[in-house]
Amino acid sequence: MVTVANGAQRTHNRDQHIPIIDCDVHHAFRSPKDLLPYLPRQYMERVRDLGLGMPNNSYGILSHGATRLDLWGDEKVPPTANRDQMRHELLDRYDIDYAILNCSALGGTSAHPDADYGMAICRAFNDYQLEHWCAADPRFRCSLLVASSDIRAAVAEVRRVGSHPAVVQVLMTGGAKFLFGKRYYDPLWEACCEVGIQGAVHPSAEGAGTNPAPTAAGYPSYYLEMRQVWAQIAQAQVTSLVCEGTFEKFPGFRFTFLEHDTYWIPGLMWRLDADWKGLRTKYPWIKKLPSQYIRENIRFGSQPINEPPDEEDHEALLRWMHADECLMFASDYPHWDWDEPSTTFAMLDPRLRRRIFSETAVETYRPKLSLPVPRHL
Amino acid sequence: MTPRVVVGRAEDFPPGDRRIVNAGGKAGIGVFNVGGAYYALRNICPHNGAPLCKGLIGPHVQSDGPGRFSYGREGEILKCPWHEWEFEIRSGRAVVVEGLRVKTYRVMVEDGDVVLYL
Repeated sequence: MVTVANGAQRTHNRDQHIPIIDCDVHHAFRSPKDLLPYLPRQYMERVRDLGLGMPNNSYGILSHGATRLDLWGDEKVPPTANRDQMRHELLDRYDIDYAILNCSALGGTSAHPDADYGMAICRAFNDYQLEHWCAADPRFRCSLLVASSDIRAAVAEVRRVGSHPAVVQVLMTGGAKFLFGKRYYDPLWEACCEVGIQGAVHPSAEGAGTNPAPTAAGYPSYYLEMRQVWAQIAQAQVTSLVCEGTFEKFPGFRFTFLEHDTYWIPGLMWRLDADWKGLRTKYPWIKKLPSQYIRENIRFGSQPINEPPDEEDHEALLRWMHADECLMFASDYPHWDWDEPSTTFAMLDPRLRRRIFSETAVETYRPKLSLPVPRHL
Repeated sequence: MTPRVVVGRAEDFPPGDRRIVNAGGKAGIGVFNVGGAYYALRNICPHNGAPLCKGLIGPHVQSDGPGRFSYGREGEILKCPWHEWEFEIRSGRAVVVEGLRVKTYRVMVEDGDVVLYL
């Protein structure tokens, strides 16, 4: 029985000894000046005087940076920048074993017209996060930022820092110039496989800077619309990765879609499988059922959780999408629309909850994640 | 007799103010002054358990057409700090989810004291 109360802590999961790996937690620096120690000389002046100047798609309309209001104290520190609050309010409160930190706020680095500058900001942030976040708590893991506008530089960054024990994946932006299955990205996925990290994408920078419009018919007007576009983008990306044979080229590579919704997954699996059966000879490098690649190589963060009217409908949807194979728990802390760990999926069978809350993430990210959590990195 | 909690003096609790009182359970109870009268809501959002009473107090927002906003009933609506669901402070009813409400409590003014009845 879950007590749905403010501060309901560690109910089902603790009682049933189900570890929790939170695959989508958002962190950031407090001010661009925090990156100055990590920047090369040629960019220091402009960052000091102008800030980062990253392209933004202007759909963010919620006050408090789209974070939970209740996390703002008198000191007015953004919850994304408040490391010790995050450790207390998320890791400790909910008995989280690992939180994977994704800085989606810097999605503009791939959309900046100056690829060198974009990549420099990524490098600076990667060094900053390893020193100020991952070193502070053995439960933190993180994603590497790269500017996809310069694939060779992105590859070099993966080789530079990808072997760090706290790095689990490279983080791509939702807005991109090419679908991720295009051969343009092959060197990046290859480098990831070399150093033993995975890939992930989080909504960011759709339609911003040098990126194309978020839809094939231009720009939605409203944030409410934009939130629905992420599901559309993800469908295109999943299809691209499958159809271009990415997982034939890189069978050990896992790619995670964070915050791109999950309700569409079953439909896409059924549709792609049916179409492939007739069109296979045109694309014979797609050797398996498309849904097989999705189940084996693609992962999905669970937030925002689906809210169909009935719990039975919800369980059917999870079955249809093979949630036991490809769904990983994500809270999206500290954003306003987060999924609270102790109530999310509370009604599910414990075996499925164990898959969603920990086992799939351990399988996907090992050896960078292992249970129990080691004392030190 | 119903347990009662003295929240404070009415003269220190003007319209627009709110306090979260440590009573009625671990999450507490939010007490609000809306237009000179006092109301109380359980500090647990019926959606996902958020500390509801820490949310945004504001107007009821309506529209007579795309791109147009009108604001009425200032100070009567509480938006949850997590998913921003709207609740009428006076009744505890969710604005857009039929049949959903948060638990309410009676608040009286007695000899200048704001008194919450559990």
